[in-house]
Amino acid sequence: MTIANWARYGLAATLATAAGGVLIYRRKPGINHDAAPARSARHRRRFGDYRVTGATVTIRATPEQIRACWQGNAQLWSALEYLPFPEGNQPDLLLPPSELRDMASRPLLTRIVAEREDELIAWRSEGEGHADMHGRLRFRDNGSKGTAVEVIMAVRPQHFASAWKTEAMMAEALKLGLLRDLRRMKMLIETGEIATARMRPDAA
Amino acid sequence: MRAATFQGKGDIDVRQMPDPAIVNPRDCIIEVTSTAICGSDLHLYDGVIPGVAKDDILGHEFMGRVVATGKESTLEVGQRVVVPFTIFCGQCFHCSEQRYSNCDNSCPVEDQEVAEKAFGHPMAGMFGYSHLTGGFAGGQAEYVRIPYSDVVPLVVPEDIPDERLLFLSDILPTGWMAALNAEIAPGDTIAVWGCGPVGLFAILSAFQQKAGRVIAIDGVKGRLDMAEQLGAEPVNFHETDILDALKQMTGGVGPDAVIDAVGMEAHGFAIDNIADRIKQTVGIGQDRAHVLRQAIMACRKGGRVSVPGVYGGKADLFPLGALMQKGLQLRTGQTHVRRFTAELLDLIERDVIDPSFLISHRLPLDEAATGYRNFRDHQDEWIKVVMHP
Ligand SMILES: NC(=O)c1ccc[n+]([C@@H]2O[C@H](COP(=O)([O-])OP(=O)(O)OC[C@H]3O[C@@H](n4cnc5c(N)ncnc54)[C@H](O)[C@@H]3O)[C@@H](O)[C@H]2O)c1
Ligand SMILES: [Zn+2]
Ligand SMILES: [Zn+2]
Repeated sequence: MTIANWARYGLAATLATAAGGVLIYRRKPGINHDAAPARSARHRRRFGDYRVTGATVTIRATPEQIRACWQGNAQLWSALEYLPFPEGNQPDLLLPPSELRDMASRPLLTRIVAEREDELIAWRSEGEGHADMHGRLRFRDNGSKGTAVEVIMAVRPQHFASAWKTEAMMAEALKLGLLRDLRRMKMLIETGEIATARMRPDAA
Repeated sequence: MRAATFQGKGDIDVRQMPDPAIVNPRDCIIEVTSTAICGSDLHLYDGVIPGVAKDDILGHEFMGRVVATGKESTLEVGQRVVVPFTIFCGQCFHCSEQRYSNCDNSCPVEDQEVAEKAFGHPMAGMFGYSHLTGGFAGGQAEYVRIPYSDVVPLVVPEDIPDERLLFLSDILPTGWMAALNAEIAPGDTIAVWGCGPVGLFAILSAFQQKAGRVIAIDGVKGRLDMAEQLGAEPVNFHETDILDALKQMTGGVGPDAVIDAVGMEAHGFAIDNIADRIKQTVGIGQDRAHVLRQAIMACRKGGRVSVPGVYGGKADLFPLGALMQKGLQLRTGQTHVRRFTAELLDLIERDVIDPSFLISHRLPLDEAATGYRNFRDHQDEWIKVVMHP
């Protein structure tokens, strides 16, 4: 077989395999929408009607220290853009930071629904007429590198994407924003401050 | 304050800029006493590194005195410090292993994504070096804000002049790390491409690290002469076929290790380099990797390839086959400056090395534009420019 032929057949075979893969995937049995998507949809971009996105960083700290920062560090709270954080007086109630609030086309009321010591915190939105959102923070030991912190959020696009041009843009903004938030948290925990190149406190 | 600012490709202007102030608790502010122009600054000047904005303050080789401290800084006002060009937090996983230029935390989050797209991971922060590395204001200025001042700056003794200490900020540790990455065994033959400041310090370091012979390659006579004064055997690429010469000089074996101290703006009229130059000029992100290709081809079987020269994009015609088939090891990176400063300061204090031999020109900061132009265009005489604000 000449190289040109090989390339042509190789390409055709790849396309056929990919198409087969899509068909098999499509034929999968229905998805249980009640299974909290953010908890079971790891590595999937969609879960039923939900759009799933997330980010991970590793922080040189214990799950306990990371949790304490998320639950009690006002400097972190004011720097967050998308990651919900506990409201001071009612620790099971989560507040959406500014960008997430702006992105949702309905009000957002979010409560913690599951907690496993040093391992998982999961939340979901409540109330009719509220934007539908599930999320979770998961902690995993990452050896000498510290604790891997993963945030996954699943949102029903029609409750979020409306003010945004497309669902894909919304998901991309959320993904990037969550990564930035985790990185800010990492900086605060590891270094005590959030890196900035500003030359003066008052500068833009 | 006055500061050397980037105004566009080939356009440096000293302008009035706002004075820096303490922003984060670990910061300090220093008043710069000496600052140098680096070969890396030329990549910015020539517009081949992306992410440099108008009015960015340049400069990453500088030293001075502390004039203000944040509440978590361990420095005191009046202390004299040399500042490494790589900004690092001292506490992340990479810092804990002294890979300071890989620090996870020193680049602001908003600036991490471009580098992450380009390189797979974000970079550490650096002074005066493009928004790929945080867009931090640099040291070719009267004052600089120094983040993480409890770990980044090196406090230096009062009785040694600036000119002997300044290069601890970058090029001396860079030459040192380049030689370390070449894993020199006593008596080894090392070939160094580029006899600019980094190459010259790599030559000096190679001998300190017990190389038997160093072969120095450049096309600029004045620089080759300096390499020869350091004990190297000079080879001019304008006059000689480099691969032939290296084979012949090593009895057909090839150098045990090769060091590319040139980077992405190689000179010369080799065909691959002309093609690279065209692509770089039209801005399709092409590094001129001519020297790296040549170094890999020249290196002996099972040898080491050390790359302090800066690359920022992609390279065509990369001799991957030679790298693999000869079983070469490749080591590179932005220098983990602070890892080497104590050892090098000790060598300076004991008069084992005096890095000031490199300085060819001293200018007031206001003449930064002249310094940049001549450092690029008259490499024969302009070896290293030191400026005083
Ligand atoms: N890794 C790091 O942390 C680090 C730190 C500082 C500098 N650098 C990089 O090191 C490189 C050298 O820095 P410098 O300050 O010495 O720069 P420089 O521009 O003064 O020197 C480069 C030298 O390379 C020579 N050269 C060009 N083409 C050549 C070729 N084909 N063969 C042999 N020599 C050739 C030039 O004539 C010049 O003398 C740059 O890429 C710089 O960005 C890296
Ligand atoms: Zn430099
Ligand atoms: Zn670090």
